[in-house]
Parts: sequence; C-alpha cells; structure tokens
Amino acid sequence: METKTNQMHFYQRFHVLHRLLHIVIIVNFTGLAISGFLLSLSHYNWTKILVSIIGGAAAAGSLHRFCAVFLYLGIVVHLLWLCYYKISLKGILFGPASLVPNSKDLNDLYQNLRYVFGKGPPPLFDRFSYLQKVDYWAVMLGMQSMGITGLLMWFPEYFSTILPGHFVNVANHFHFHEATLAVMYIGIVHMSDTHLLPEVFPLEKSIFNGKITKEKLAAEHPEEWKRINLLKD
Amino acid sequence: MNSKTIISIAAGVVIMITLAGLYTITLAGLNPMQKQVTPPKNSETKPQVCLDCHRFPNINTNEGVFASNAFCYDCHREKNCTRKIDGKEITLQITHDDFNKNQRQHQFVACIKCHTDVARSPHKTLAGAKCLECHPVHGESTAHDPHFRVSCQACHFKSKFVELDPKDNHIKLAHITLESKPISLADHTLADVNDLKSCEKCHFKNNRIGAPAAVLPSKSALCILCHNSPLSMGHPIFGVAMLIFLVGVFATLRFWYLGSVQGEENSLHRKISLSSESIWNIIFSRQIFSLLKMVVLDIIFQRRILKESVGRWSMHSLIFSAILIRFLLSLFTAVIFYFHPGGDWTLALIDKNSPFTAFANDLLGLFILLGILWAMVQRFIIKPVHVATENQDNIALLIIGTLILLGFFLEGARILVTRIPAEMASYSFIGYPLSKVFSIFGLNWTSIYSYLWYAHGIVGALLVAYLPFGKMRHILNTPLTYALEEVSGVRKEKRI
Repeated sequence: METKTNQMHFYQRFHVLHRLLHIVIIVNFTGLAISGFLLSLSHYNWTKILVSIIGGAAAAGSLHRFCAVFLYLGIVVHLLWLCYYKISLKGILFGPASLVPNSKDLNDLYQNLRYVFGKGPPPLFDRFSYLQKVDYWAVMLGMQSMGITGLLMWFPEYFSTILPGHFVNVANHFHFHEATLAVMYIGIVHMSDTHLLPEVFPLEKSIFNGKITKEKLAAEHPEEWKRINLLKD
Repeated sequence: MNSKTIISIAAGVVIMITLAGLYTITLAGLNPMQKQVTPPKNSETKPQVCLDCHRFPNINTNEGVFASNAFCYDCHREKNCTRKIDGKEITLQITHDDFNKNQRQHQFVACIKCHTDVARSPHKTLAGAKCLECHPVHGESTAHDPHFRVSCQACHFKSKFVELDPKDNHIKLAHITLESKPISLADHTLADVNDLKSCEKCHFKNNRIGAPAAVLPSKSALCILCHNSPLSMGHPIFGVAMLIFLVGVFATLRFWYLGSVQGEENSLHRKISLSSESIWNIIFSRQIFSLLKMVVLDIIFQRRILKESVGRWSMHSLIFSAILIRFLLSLFTAVIFYFHPGGDWTLALIDKNSPFTAFANDLLGLFILLGILWAMVQRFIIKPVHVATENQDNIALLIIGTLILLGFFLEGARILVTRIPAEMASYSFIGYPLSKVFSIFGLNWTSIYSYLWYAHGIVGALLVAYLPFGKMRHILNTPLTYALEEVSGVRKEKRI
C-alpha cells in the first residue's frame, strides 16, 4: 500500500455519528452565539440593525431556544452512544485511548512546555492529546451549566417556585459570561490548536471525513500508533 | 480516587446544598410579595373638578391600574348600575373584591385594557372585551378546532347560556336564560375550561346553536399529512397507529439490513457503520447534486412515470402531488402558527372557512379523489394489459378513497350543522353543495357529524398504520431504489 504514491493509506479516526454530532454542534453553536449576543448586547445600535435582519428580538429568542434544544439533543445522542459503546460494543470508557483525563496528560503538558522552551523532545500523545481532551470537556461541562442557567431563564415562573427569584438574575450573569468564555475558547483556542496548525491549515479534515493518514497518525498520536501495531502483530 | 477524597467531596456538596437551602428559607421569610396590596381609597368628599375623571392614568403600572379601576368601580359597585337589553334590565354591578376573586389572573389589569371603547362619551361599548389584544387565538390542539366563530367568553365564562347571534354569526353568551330571566355577566366568573364538562354547555344533543352533539377530541400530529394539526398525539387510536407505523418502518429497516453490506454478513454494527460511511461520502461529494436532481425530477415531478405513459403519470400525480401540496401547506401553517399565531396569513390558513383554505382543501381533495377514481376505472373496467391488479393495490385505493369521501361528507355535515352562511361557505365548492344535499334529509346531523368525524379519523389512522406494510410501502422503497440506482449508475460510468 505504501508503494502507491497517489493512494494514501488511511485509518478511521471518527465514526459517522461523531462527525455528524460535530456538525450539529458547529451549526447550533454558531446560531446560539449570534442570536445570544445580539440579544444580550441589545443596547448597542449595531445589534439593533443586525437583529432586525434576523427578524427582530422575538425571532432571535426563538432561534436561540431552537438551537439550544438541538445542541442539547446532540449531547443526549452522544451520551446514548456512550451507553451503546459500553454495553453493546463492550468498549472501555476509562482507558488511555479515552477522553478521560489521566496523569499522562499532566506529564504531557510538562513535556510540551519543556519542548516549547527547547529543553526536550515533544510529548508522545495517545489517541487524544491533553488539549483535545480540554476541547471535549469544555463543551461537555459547559453545555450542562449553560443548559441549567438557560432553562432558569426560559422558565423563570417554574424555577422561582423552587428557588429564590434572584437566582434568575444570577443565571443571567452566569449565562452571559460563560457564553463569552465559550465563544472565546472556541474562537481562539480550539480554532488555533486544531485548524491553524501549519500541517493542516486551513482545516483539520479528520473530524469531517473521519480519516487520518498513516503518517499523521504515527507522528501526532505515536502511542495509539504503537498500540494499533501491537494489535496487528 | 481513594475513599477519603470521595467522602470529603460528598461532604462539601452536602454542606453547600444545606447552606443554599438555609439561604432560600431565610429569603422566603422576607418575601415582599406577601404584603397585601390594597387599592387607594377615595372616601373623602371634596368638590369635583374635571380632571378627577378625565385623566390618563398609566395603566402599565399597578398604581395606575388601581386609579383607573377605582373610577370604574365608583359607579359599577352601585346596585342601580344597570343596562337595558331588549327591554330587560340587566345589572352591571361589580365590585373590586368580586372581580379579583373571580378573575385572579387579571387583578393587575385595568378594566379599560380589555373594554377598550368604554372610556368615552357616550359611555357604551360596541366591541365588547378584547381578549385577542394580549392572547393569541387557539390552534388545533385546544378544543378540537380553533372555534373561530365562538367568542372567547362563550367558553371561558361560567355562564351556561349561549346563543347564535344572527347579525355576525358568532356564538356569544346570552343575556337571558331559557326562561327569559336576565343574567348579569358583570361578575366575570371564569369557567374551568380544562374540564371537558364545560364544553357541554354547547355540545349536547339537539342544541339550538348548531354545535356537534359530542365533544370531539383534537386532531393528531399524524393528520399533518393533509391538515393543519397540533404537535400532540391526540386520541389514543392515533397513538396506536403511530406505534404500528414505527414498528413497520423498523421491520423494513431490519429487513434491509438482513442482507450483506459491502461483504459484511454478520455484525449489524459493522453493517450500519459501513452503510453510513458510504452515505456520508456520497453526501460530501459531487454525487449529491445528481441525487438532488433525481429527487426533484424523479420524485417530485415523477419523470420516470411520465416516460412510461402520460396517462399513468397524470393519474399518479393527481394523487401524489395533491397530497404533497396539502402536506407542505399544513407544515407551513404549523410553522407560522408557532412563530406568529396572530398574523393575517396564519389566521387565513388555520381557518377552515377562509376563502383560500376552503377552496384549496376542496380542490386538492377533489384531485386525489379523481386520481383514485381513474385508477379504479383502469383496474376494474378498462383492464389494460400492463395493469396487474393485486389485492394490496385495491386495499390502498380503498383506504385513500374512503378517507377522501368521508372528508367531503364531514365537511358538508360541518357546514350544515354549524350553519355557516352561504357567502362564507361557497368557497368550499364541494362541501357547500353537499351540505345542501344533506339538508334535504331531515336527519339529526349534529349527532351524525360526530360519527363521521370518528370514521374519518379512524380511516386516517388506518392509512398511517398501513403505510409501511402493503402497497403504500412504495413511498419508502421507490425513492431509495432511485437513489441507489443513481449512485451506482454514476459509479458504472466511471468504471467504463
């Protein structure tokens, strides 16, 4: 296979379901960010113009809730997949190939800092590097708290019967500041650490076509590459 | 993690929840809403000046509401506050306490917010109370039907006496009982509309206002194939139909996956993985454009049937296109009702008697019926060589044909029973003549209407349940076959 120059050897990195969920998150996250900031920054004149383009404040609110429901449905489907993976496929949820942080990630971080300052070799990542794990958990945990604070503001009548009323205001502040954090995290950290790398610029394609070349797998995820070869032998 | 860490985290969580709970309890004790708000009293007597009455309180504030209402109650709390309707003296007496007891929801709403045209001279209302300024109209899910010709108060007020106003053909609350005793509506007592018994003030046998005799359930989400419908399952029979439909679709999918996928024979997980992988690869390739072209030409416009024969295409399109258009129209109605329930388009589309909706529904229904008749003539009378009549074809034709016929009968009965005036009903160019035919037979149509409704609903449920089984399975199978042929056909060309 290596002899053919025009035909690369690919390994599967992401299933169709995960690619689909990534696209669901992209679309709904963008919709949420646009409609949400248009609503929360409504005291500026430029947002008044933009919000009129998408049909006014009521439409922006509807869009925001619509996207929120679908984004959270994506999370639910992902959790169902995890159940299926554990129960039906007999997969391992906590192994070194999983997204669960472990002590190797701290060592990798230390090693990477040493590498950045020219003091040692680059770290040998497993299936997911520590930055990719942070990407995953930022969304996974962020969606829970955004969901809770969002629901508090969506159904204030119900929640103010079990919580004091000022929790709604607190939820509003949390929601706004965490949204700012999330948009900045995705826009700056996630974009630069995955898509702005010189090797893959302008786009890391593996989350969209699910494939990773043999060379890339061996170079960027050497621990996983080692394990795959061990399995083969 | 060792057990010590777990225990300390758990203890921390318990302490935080306890603190939050204590804080909540403390705050609840300090709740400022527990203070009783009392209206300002104007017991002092002083010389009246013009601005005492002719003022503009800001009724968007509670103080303004109380100031404005105090002015109304000044006269309306008196016993001699009456009005003469048809020679009968009807009391208009209402006090602040009575109103707040009977309409708790509106205790912070000014009288003139709803009675918009009373604060003027002469002091007289023409419009009545305006509910729709704040509340949207009901869609399909509430009370079976939007009930456009019924005033809000007829259902939402407790008074049991209703009448059909011949002036504007609306159902309203009556000002006299059956024994011609005057009734006051000024106490504003609301009915419990969640109790279906409250519907029985109109819906009983031999009622005088033209309501169907039974309280009918609402439509189901399944009805969206042809009608504007709510987002709920409705009567259990539709739930059963939906269940059978889902089982059928699941069985079909399971049957498809019994075969091998790209050489994989056993593992269902691998089969689904491989097939979804190739679907993904087709969607994100140039083949998607040829597939889209196929969908438009071969599925929406039925090009392949047209190539076979114009007659067969016309027959099939009469049925298929009419159902497709009705489905898209219903979907559009449901979406705009969700986003803009009070809009002009929404009101026209959800009202069965509005000119466009009445005409479109009758025309498209007629198309379907003509298509079915044509197919039946082909099968049973002309019997050309290429038509191989099977039992399952006849069942499909029978179900759809019965459904449409019952639909027209139902429409005729509805127009007859609810006494829709001719200038409104004439847009239903089939339903209205049918209602005239029905009126020849002196039957009890208010009861028959309910039976017809259930018959139409049951046949509709039967159609949905039957979709993934007999002949109707072709609406799943044929597009899939076309798509597979399109995709593999492109691949064949590449190979050559």
